[in-house]
Amino acid sequence: MFEAKLYDGITAHRHDAHADMQADAILLRQDSGWTDQVAKSLLHRLDGDGSTIRLGRTDIDGWRLILPPEARVAVSALLGGEERYGRWIDRIGLLPALAVFGVLAAGVLLVGHFAPQWVAPHVPEQWERNVGDAIVGDFGDNRCRNPAGQRALEAMAERLEPGSTRGPNRLRLAALDINMFNAAALPGGHIVVFKTAITETEDPDALAGVLAHEIAHVRRRHVTQALIRELGIGALIRLFAGDIGANAQQIVALNYTRSNEAEADSDAIVMLRRAGISPKPTAALFRKLGEHEADGSSYNAEFLQSHPLSSNRARKFDTAFDANTRYTRALTQSQADDLFNICWKR
Amino acid sequence: MDSRQEWAAPEPARAIGFTGNWREYLPIAITNALLIIVTLGIYRFWAAARQRRYLWSHTELIDDRLEWTGTGKEMFIGFLIVVAILLPFFLFIQFLFPAMVARGNEAAAGVIMAVFYIGLIYLGGLARFRALRYRLSRTRWHGIRGGSNDPGWKYGGEYLGRTLLTALTMFIIFPWAATRLWNGRWNAMSFGPLQFRADLTADGLKRRWAAVYLVPFAALLVAAVIGAVVGVIAMAGENKLSPSVFMIIGAIFVLFYLAVPLMTLHWFAKFYRKAATGTTLGDLSFSFDATTWGWLKLFLGNIALAVVTLGFGLTYWGYRNWSFIVRHLHVHGSVDLSQLTQSTARAPGEAEGFADMFDVGAI
Repeated sequence: MFEAKLYDGITAHRHDAHADMQADAILLRQDSGWTDQVAKSLLHRLDGDGSTIRLGRTDIDGWRLILPPEARVAVSALLGGEERYGRWIDRIGLLPALAVFGVLAAGVLLVGHFAPQWVAPHVPEQWERNVGDAIVGDFGDNRCRNPAGQRALEAMAERLEPGSTRGPNRLRLAALDINMFNAAALPGGHIVVFKTAITETEDPDALAGVLAHEIAHVRRRHVTQALIRELGIGALIRLFAGDIGANAQQIVALNYTRSNEAEADSDAIVMLRRAGISPKPTAALFRKLGEHEADGSSYNAEFLQSHPLSSNRARKFDTAFDANTRYTRALTQSQADDLFNICWKR
Repeated sequence: MDSRQEWAAPEPARAIGFTGNWREYLPIAITNALLIIVTLGIYRFWAAARQRRYLWSHTELIDDRLEWTGTGKEMFIGFLIVVAILLPFFLFIQFLFPAMVARGNEAAAGVIMAVFYIGLIYLGGLARFRALRYRLSRTRWHGIRGGSNDPGWKYGGEYLGRTLLTALTMFIIFPWAATRLWNGRWNAMSFGPLQFRADLTADGLKRRWAAVYLVPFAALLVAAVIGAVVGVIAMAGENKLSPSVFMIIGAIFVLFYLAVPLMTLHWFAKFYRKAATGTTLGDLSFSFDATTWGWLKLFLGNIALAVVTLGFGLTYWGYRNWSFIVRHLHVHGSVDLSQLTQSTARAPGEAEGFADMFDVGAI
């Protein structure tokens, strides 16, 4: 028998009672003669503070029976142990739970990491076009609309990948009147080149190398991968971080993995070779940008952010140069002039 | 049956006290941290419930301890509901907004964004109200719980209006807005059959708020004087003074950025002291004696603890904050136990998802 305290849930009065543990119930008695037998099935354990044991009743809101610590063994025998970590974890134990959850978490992270790569090739290009068109539109006032310049840009893409500007899966090329040294592949076969990248790149052959790299991102479905990654993990991060950008940087914010970048470079080299365009100017451009990276000047900061440069990349294009090949220019002189002026309105 | 219990808090003995200690809490802190990590954060709702069960059960009020009856499951469900509600906002920001900007509809995108932000302020107010309601409804003393029958929709509107007005007046009317909002929240709350009464005014809170504005000006003035003196010395001596000048200007900036938060803290310290005094529950009245220095020690201690323990100390922030509040809170008056009957207020089911999302405190 234990001396217990009792709250009836109706008022805040505290009653003294004697509690007797029975096989499947607790018998409560008071000196006044009042008794109550509470079935085990109605009782549940509440948090203890270490020195007392608290029981509640499922059928009476606020009913509390407070037992002294000596009753611990008897209560545990009747109702089982106190809830500690949560019902599931208590059932299997803390260490097994840590192990199971740890394995599950590792699995989730791995799938999250590789899923975009697995899923991307199976996303119908029509879907991606719809998403891309919805996001990108026609760029409004930002787009450079000089027709001769546009023709030159498309001619460059045609040299790198014949037929690439025609058909349902055609590349949608656009120059943007934004002062940024960058180029980007966007969902739905959109490739944008920013004005500064066109005007500051002295050799059109180097621009061809950059364009080939972006074409490779499109054809290898890297854009789709990045989009899936962004939708999955990025979406959650943004939901919690509340990160809202409101400038053009946002539309080029898709990030590629390192291996995506390397693959795009290899493809670009193949494309240049097939087209008979020298990879040297691209290597020179990367080297120049890399030097700027080293000396900390920032006019190309955007490019470096989305295309992490290393001397390795420049070397890769350099070694692709073959002295015995007779290279031709990516664009004729008049085409190059047209492209340079793409953002100038007549 | 025994009856007629009326308990009067003997002065000056404390009617409320915290009986926990950090060593006893350590196993909870460690296991919570581990489980949160291996569940990629999902366990944090259950961790919060465990933390509160410990803190509440080690808080003595008059002759019995508090009891926390909230569960991790209900907080998790509350979180899921909020995610569902906020999903449209998120989708807009992620897709529609950049799409509109890309099409050159910056103005329309901006307007929609502004409307959404206003909606978020409203939800922020609603969140504060509901978090308080939820916590009271899951807090029991002598088997009796608190709560509110008010769903808080109106409070959300009041919060939005006062927040916008405060922003429009460059925060000058903040003391008035903050006190009215405190009253708005607490007057809707009850414990058992007893209604909370909050009658807080901005009296006594204006001077400290003015200081928030004046201290930066004073700092600028000091900077100007020092700058002038240094300039004169530099011209007279033609010394290479530029490094020291920069150092002084840097120090002023640090002062400037420290002064405003410090003065704001100074204001809030008094606000909470006044707020406790201005709030009653039946025959119970409250007071709170934390000073600016006390709050500062709490915050700096929290930061130092987290840094020294390489982040593990974060698990003690909730513990430290709660014990700080309980240590500084005083309860006066008496409770008529026969009048303190079970609450009839609706017990909300949705936990505190919103407050959790917007990271606002309950009080």
